[in-house]
Amino acid sequence: MSSVRGKVLVIGGGIAGIQASLDLAEAGFKVYLVEKKPSIGGRMAQLDKTFPTLDCASCILTPKMAEVPRKANIELITYAEVIDIVKEKDGFRVVVKKYPKYIDETKCIGCGICVERCPAREKLGAPDEFNEGLSTRRAVCILFPQAVPRKAVIDPNICLYLTRKTCKVCEKFCPAQAIDWSDTEKILNLYVDAIVVATGYRFVDPRHPALSIYGYGKYQNVYTNIEFERILDSRGPTGGEILRRSDKKHPKRIVFIQCVGSRDYRINPYCSAYCCMASIKQAVLAKEHEPGVDIVILYMDIRAFGKGFQEFYERAVKEFGIRFVRGRPAKIVEDPNTKNLIVYYENTLKGTIEKIEADMVVLALGIVPNPPDFMKRLGLVEPDGRVKIKDPSDPIATPVEGLFIAGMLAGPKDIPDSVAQGSAVAMRVMQHILRRKVEVVAT
Amino acid sequence: MVTRTFESRVTYRINPELMDKIKKLGGVGISKCFDCGTCTVSCPFSEELGLEPFPRRIIKYIKLGLEDRLLSSLEPWLCYYCGDCSDTCPKNAEPAETMMATRRYLVSKYDFTGISRIMYFTRFGWLIAAIILAGIAFIIGWIFKGPIVTERVELGTFAPVDIVDTAGIAVLVILASILIVNIYRMYRFTVGSLKGISLSKAFIELIKIVPLHFLTQMRLAKCSFREYWYIHLMIFYGYGLSFILFVPLLRLTLTNKPFLFVDPLSIAGVLSTILLIIGATLAIKGRLEKKTHVWRYSHHTDWMFVILLFLVTLTGVLTGIFRTLGYPLPTYVTFALHIVLVTPFLALEVPFAKWSHLAYRPFSIYFHRLKTLKEGVVL
Repeated sequence: MSSVRGKVLVIGGGIAGIQASLDLAEAGFKVYLVEKKPSIGGRMAQLDKTFPTLDCASCILTPKMAEVPRKANIELITYAEVIDIVKEKDGFRVVVKKYPKYIDETKCIGCGICVERCPAREKLGAPDEFNEGLSTRRAVCILFPQAVPRKAVIDPNICLYLTRKTCKVCEKFCPAQAIDWSDTEKILNLYVDAIVVATGYRFVDPRHPALSIYGYGKYQNVYTNIEFERILDSRGPTGGEILRRSDKKHPKRIVFIQCVGSRDYRINPYCSAYCCMASIKQAVLAKEHEPGVDIVILYMDIRAFGKGFQEFYERAVKEFGIRFVRGRPAKIVEDPNTKNLIVYYENTLKGTIEKIEADMVVLALGIVPNPPDFMKRLGLVEPDGRVKIKDPSDPIATPVEGLFIAGMLAGPKDIPDSVAQGSAVAMRVMQHILRRKVEVVAT
Repeated sequence: MVTRTFESRVTYRINPELMDKIKKLGGVGISKCFDCGTCTVSCPFSEELGLEPFPRRIIKYIKLGLEDRLLSSLEPWLCYYCGDCSDTCPKNAEPAETMMATRRYLVSKYDFTGISRIMYFTRFGWLIAAIILAGIAFIIGWIFKGPIVTERVELGTFAPVDIVDTAGIAVLVILASILIVNIYRMYRFTVGSLKGISLSKAFIELIKIVPLHFLTQMRLAKCSFREYWYIHLMIFYGYGLSFILFVPLLRLTLTNKPFLFVDPLSIAGVLSTILLIIGATLAIKGRLEKKTHVWRYSHHTDWMFVILLFLVTLTGVLTGIFRTLGYPLPTYVTFALHIVLVTPFLALEVPFAKWSHLAYRPFSIYFHRLKTLKEGVVL
C-alpha cells in the first residue's frame, strides 16, 4: 500500500458516498467505505425508477455498486458505524464499531440457501426494512438481491439459536461453512487524512402529532411515498402490483399529498426539494401500471427546477391526465366499511372546500438530514438538523478542516446532484491531502 | 387608495395600507400565510350555512388590500375564535388572530363617530377617554349627591334615586342610539338593501334569529374549547342579571333599606356578582396564562374590557357588602367609585369597543340569513 497518496474515510454507502469512493480510489487514494447496513446502495436501491426520464434506478446504481468491491483501493466495511473521530496531527483517528454478522464474510458465497431454509419467518420473522416493513424477512437475510457485498447477515434479535439456543438450520445447510456463532462486536481504529460524511437523510415521522390529521398508522390505506415506491417496484412486496393494504385490491383513485412535513414550522421549515418530482414520477408510474386509475396530486407549489423537470410535469398533465389541485388537506376520514379515504381540502385556486373519496392516499414525506452522532457531539449540527458548513458558497466543507459532507446530508437534492456532489467532494479531499503534502515537500 | 379597473369592468378599490392596519390590530402572522387552505378545512364553521370558506378568504382580502370586500364580509363575525386553524397552520401564521384583528377593524369601521378608531388604534386613547368620562361622572355625581347620613346607611339619600335613574336611562338611550346607527351601518356594508326580501319575512327572521343567539351564544358551543363558552355565559348572565337589577329595577334596589340576603332581589344581586367575579377572574387568569388561543394574544382593548369589568364588579360587590354590614361612609365611597367606573365602562365598551359584539354577533347571523335569502346571492 506504499503507492497510495492518502487515506480517506467515507461514511455512508449511498449514491453520493459510492461516487466519492470510486473517484478517490480511481485517483490512487485508499478509501475506507463504512456503511451501517449490510449492503451499500442506500435509499436509491429502494427506488423503482428515477425522474424525469423514468430510467430504472437499479440500472444506474448497480453498476456503480458492483464497481466498489472491484477497486483494490476501497476497503468496504459494512454493518458498521463510525462512533467517534479524534483529530490528530495530520488527520483523524476514527473509531468504527462493527456489528456481528455471525457469518464469516470471507467464506460466504451469497448463495442464499440459508435464507431459504431459515425457519424464523412469518410471525417469527421481522419487518423487512428494505421494503419499509411491507413484508417480513427471516432471521438470516440478504438485504436485497443486488446487495453488495452479497453476503448474508443473521439478526440476533429473532434468530432462534441466538435467542433460544435451538435450530442451527442454516449451519447445517450452508455449503461454505460460513456460519460463525462466536462472532462478536468489534472495534476498529483507522487512521485517515480526511473524512467524507455522506450519511444521507431520514424521513419525517409520519406519526408526528402535527401530521395526525392524515391518519398514517391509523388508516390502513394511507401510505408514505417510500412505501408506495416499494409497491411500484417489481422486486417489491407485491411484485410490482399496486394493491391496497386493507383488501389487496387495485385502487381506482389515488390521492397524493405534497409537503407533508415540509415547509411546516412545527416539523421542518424548509422545502424537501425532491417530493414534487418524486410524486409526479410515482403518479406516472401508477398510471402506467393501471391505466384506468384516477390520480389527483394535492400540491402547494410544483417546484420543477431541474433539467427536463418542467417538461415531465407538463407530460404528466397532458399525456397521463394526472390532475393537479392546489390545496393542502387538513382532514382525512376513513369510511369504516370500504376503508376508502375521504380527503377534505380547500381548492385554493377556486376558494371552495372540496372533498375526494380515494382508495389510497400517498403522503410525500419531507426529509431531514441524518448526521451521525459524533457530528452532533462536535457541534456541527444546526438546531434545524442541517449540518453546519464553513461558508454558504462552499456547501460541502464543514468548519472542521478535512471533514467534508456530500449528498442529502448537505441538504435535500435529487440523484444527479448527489452524484455530482460525490465527485465534487472527492476532488476537495484530494486537494486537501495533496496540498499539505506539497507544502511538506517544499519546506 | 388606488383604484384599478380590470377587464371585467368590475372596479376594485385597493387599499395598500389595509394589511398594516390589521397587523396593528393583532393580525401578527398575515405575511407568513402561503395560502395552503389548511385553516379553511380545519375550521368547524366554514362549511356550514352555505358560506364561502374562511379564514383564508379573509386573509386573502387583507393581503390584496380589498377593503370593500372585507367590509362587506360577515365571516369574521361567524368565526368564534376557537383556534383550530392556528393549531393546524403549518406556517405559524395565526389565522385565528387575523380573524380577531379583522373583527376589531370592522368594529372601528362600523362606528360612525370615529371614537372606536381612537380606542383601537391608539394605545392610551381609551385611558384618556375613560378618565374624561369618569371625571364627568364624578362632577355630575358631586353636584347632585344628597346629604351624607353617617349614623346609618342611607344609600337612597346619598344617591337620590330619581337622579341616578334619569341619568342611567339617558346614558342608555344615547348608547343604544349610537349602537343602532352602527348596526345599521353594518347592515348597509354587508347586506346593502332588502331587495328581493319582503319586509315581513325580514322581520320574522329577525325575531327568530337575534334573540336566540343573543341569549344562548349557541354557535360558540361548537368550538373545540368549550370551557370558553361557559365562561362567556357566566359573564353574560352575571352582567345581564345585574343590568336588570340596577337599571330597570333601580327604584327597588337603590333604597335606604339594608341590602340583606333575604329578599329575592338581593339573592339575585349576589348571584349575579358571583357569576361576574368568577367569569372575570377566569378571563384575566386565562389572558395572563396564555394557554389557549382565545387568550394568547391580548390587544389593549381586551385588557381594557376585562380590567374595567373586574373593577366595576369589585366596587359593586364592596358596596353591597358595606351596605349589608351597615358601614355608611365606605358604602358611599365604593358606590361613588362604582358609578365613576361604570360610566366609562358602558360608554366606551358598548358602542365603540369589544363589548359591541353583543350586537354584532347575533346580528351577523341575521344579516347572513338575509344575504342568503336575497335571490341569486350566494355569499
